[in-house]
Amino acid sequence: MDTLHAHLEALFDDLELVIGWETGYEPLRPTPAFLRSREDLSRLVWNPLCAPNLSVYLPGILKDAKETGKKIGVCLKGCDSRSLGALVQEGFVERERLYVVGLPCPGTVDPEALAEARKSSAPVTHVSFRDGLLAITSRDGTEEIELERVLARRCRRCRHPNPLHADVILGDPVPPRRTEPSFSDVDAVEAMSLEERRAYWEEELSRCLRCYACRNACPLCVCRDRCLAESRTPKWTTQRDGVRDKFLFHMIHALHLAGRCTECGECERVCPVGIPVALFKEKMARIALELWDYQAGTDPAATPPLQTFDPSETGI
Amino acid sequence: MRIGVFVCQCGTNIAGTVDTRAVAQRALDYPDVVFATDYMYTCSEPGQQEIQNAIAEHRLQGVVVAACSPRMHEPTFRRAVEKAGLNRYMFEMANIREHVSWIGQDRAANTLKAMELVRMAVEKLRRNEPLFASEVPINKRVLVIGGGVAGIQAALDCADAGLDVVLVEREQSIGGKMAKLDKTFPTIDCSSCILGPKMVDVAQKENITLHAYSEVESVSGYIGNFTVKIRKKATYVDWDACTGCGLCMEKCPSKKTVDRFNEALGVTTAIQIPFPQAIPKKARIQKDACRYFTTGKCKVCQKICPTGAVHYDMEDREVVEEVGAIIVATGYDLFDPAPYGEYGAGRYPDVITGIQFERILSASGPFGGHVKRPSDGKEPKDIVFVACVGSRDKSVDRPYCSGICCMYIAKQAILARDHLPGVNCYVFYMDIRSPGKNYDEFVRRAIEEYGVQYIRGRVGKIYPNGDRMVVQGADTLLGAQVEVEADLVVLATGVESSRGAKELAEKLRISYDQYGFYMESHPKLRPVETNTAGVYLAGACQGPKDIPASVAQGSAAAAKVLALFARDTIATDPQVAGVLESACIGCGKCLSVCPFGAIQWKTLRDGSRKADVLETVCQGCGLCNATCPPKAIQLRHFTDDQILAELDALCA
Repeated sequence: MDTLHAHLEALFDDLELVIGWETGYEPLRPTPAFLRSREDLSRLVWNPLCAPNLSVYLPGILKDAKETGKKIGVCLKGCDSRSLGALVQEGFVERERLYVVGLPCPGTVDPEALAEARKSSAPVTHVSFRDGLLAITSRDGTEEIELERVLARRCRRCRHPNPLHADVILGDPVPPRRTEPSFSDVDAVEAMSLEERRAYWEEELSRCLRCYACRNACPLCVCRDRCLAESRTPKWTTQRDGVRDKFLFHMIHALHLAGRCTECGECERVCPVGIPVALFKEKMARIALELWDYQAGTDPAATPPLQTFDPSETGI
Repeated sequence: MRIGVFVCQCGTNIAGTVDTRAVAQRALDYPDVVFATDYMYTCSEPGQQEIQNAIAEHRLQGVVVAACSPRMHEPTFRRAVEKAGLNRYMFEMANIREHVSWIGQDRAANTLKAMELVRMAVEKLRRNEPLFASEVPINKRVLVIGGGVAGIQAALDCADAGLDVVLVEREQSIGGKMAKLDKTFPTIDCSSCILGPKMVDVAQKENITLHAYSEVESVSGYIGNFTVKIRKKATYVDWDACTGCGLCMEKCPSKKTVDRFNEALGVTTAIQIPFPQAIPKKARIQKDACRYFTTGKCKVCQKICPTGAVHYDMEDREVVEEVGAIIVATGYDLFDPAPYGEYGAGRYPDVITGIQFERILSASGPFGGHVKRPSDGKEPKDIVFVACVGSRDKSVDRPYCSGICCMYIAKQAILARDHLPGVNCYVFYMDIRSPGKNYDEFVRRAIEEYGVQYIRGRVGKIYPNGDRMVVQGADTLLGAQVEVEADLVVLATGVESSRGAKELAEKLRISYDQYGFYMESHPKLRPVETNTAGVYLAGACQGPKDIPASVAQGSAAAAKVLALFARDTIATDPQVAGVLESACIGCGKCLSVCPFGAIQWKTLRDGSRKADVLETVCQGCGLCNATCPPKAIQLRHFTDDQILAELDALCA
């Protein structure tokens, strides 16, 4: 973390803004930070609790930013960097206007699992991370918890802990947990009979509040305030309560991410009612992988498969 | 809105399994429906009159006809409502014949389904808006792609009618496959004697621009206004200077070049004019065979050429042609018999294909018209013809009948007996297909007058025995295995789509079947039209055809172009895409998926980029609408809300 501060310190004159993470209302909850002055840099934190994918802010910030010649600095984890790649592919982000600080990521924490693993429930005053151990300090003393025990689901299937497309990588490369794509969670749902699956999703989606947190956190949900879920003309979804419209919304979200999802898992992480909505998109990512051997965001020069037509493509 | 619903009985076609009266009665319950009735034949003159009367009498603002597929009669009814003063797009059709009465026997279920389809049409109509066509001028020039007999016929007919014609031919000379044939069935007239004059006509017509040794690179635009980029491939000979004297061919030292025009049965030179009647009769250097291009030394042709036409530094050149219509006549290719390993084509020099035998028979062929076998030049005493090599055989993915092989085998057997009266001809066949005028008589003549022996059965294996070949097969009429010793075996290879056919189809935006043959707009009633307006088909590019059928299609396609060009302007279809700018997020996905290049960027005053549809170029395919994430781009007459309303009606 000291390297991160020192590195940005040295470069700050060339940067318009730095996007990173800072401590939120408690050290367990880092939030996105938008730092415009050198003094603020000290607020930056980087540890396995820095979950938000900051690439989600890039299209909007670049659109509004004045052309000063200065770049916008952004800290990205491995999965975040794939989202950046996909945004570059689709023309929403001009890569040359960014200074990308890549942070090899040991994995992020699932807050629920952490709460479960902690013995103390006292407010946390300090968090640090070393050698795979989280040290969590409260008035009850310091607890050490293995990161592996409290890892988020998305991180258990991570193949890209090391950032792509970065200007600089700070920290040693992390060995990926997976070398091959893993879709075991999708498999588990698909193993259900049709009736079971329907019941499963009706049960899960019945909790959906249509708060659109999943959509807002998704870096590839680029429609922003023109989202089809809230459009009156055309009117795809209604405001009626009931699982049907919720289901339709999630299907629209998933289909809009077909061949685009970078599997960062933000949609699922931010869901306030814990619906495993990333499974829909993982299914889409799997189809893209199997049909076209395509992984969104890994190659910024590639054309997304659903935007091309190749008559020699087979199996479609 | 005040809506009228007309349920057609279509005689008994619909009324046989649908209670049309009940469907009409039920329609009265649907929102905005103020009038509903059923009628024996709604498309008939009195049926249309009934609609027009009802529009006046009940002050209807929209009409639903529940009848057949809109494919045939939607234009009929649109004209009818227009005559009565409505906008032609305030009309919807529910297909209760192909989608209901013809596919189910259960009267109650059919009636219910018909009611639902009418309900959907009503809900769609309630959201329809009047649309208006605009007129664009027609560029009265026509492009013909392919200079075989079909393309030549189309080009000549158009040129005779006074049109400017652009003819593009991939090979060095026009003439196509027909130019390689010796004689033609069923009259045994000489192929080049009947084709030659037409080829010469093409060269002499002042209003035909011939681009030989050229290929279509890209096609943009739309009916009446296409822009076609044509790549003129480098020939290394200036064709304006070349007189076709042939001196270069006499002196060229690379005399071992495989002669493709003679189907690899002979050799030619690196600089070549493919055959004496070639149009244009100009020389071309085959680069990979040329001594100068391969070793850097030679230049004999350049030195000898009396007009100084040889230029080794020539490069491919692009020309742009603006035309109003396109006739595709790209023909066919012949099946490569390699997958039939047991027949040994390619391995045994005396197992040849039908087109190779055609060249052997030809006076301008490799043996000057003497029937000899390729291996040792001996005159054959026994010739075996094998039918259906690459036709009617699922194992090689060619389940269709090529249509011409039965006839060309009979012709070749007759010609072989004419050339060598002592030769024995055997034909292994599955069925004899000879449905044309004088065709079956021709086959009978081969059997009865010329003594050609027809053996009904497939050939299993061909193998050499000394300097002869043994053909092993079944005689299914005798129920026995037979073996025939032959000096020469001719495989009647079938017809397949022309190489590159699919790529060209993509450029032209026309569809093709799984074998690469182009799809006509209707198999019976629109045989030379495609589903892309302004693009027509002629000849074997649409499916296997013989010469008379290809010529007929060439003329038919020309007639279609002339009918189109009889007008000065063409009405554009208003069922095109439109952008709601405030909803467009400028992602550009529509630009990348539009197959017609109909969408471009537009920059607003605030600097933001929005998609913009060129309405005359848009074909209304809807790909942009399906792709647009916020659905800012909508297809007029098929908007999301119209379709969602139909779905809601169905699911209600």
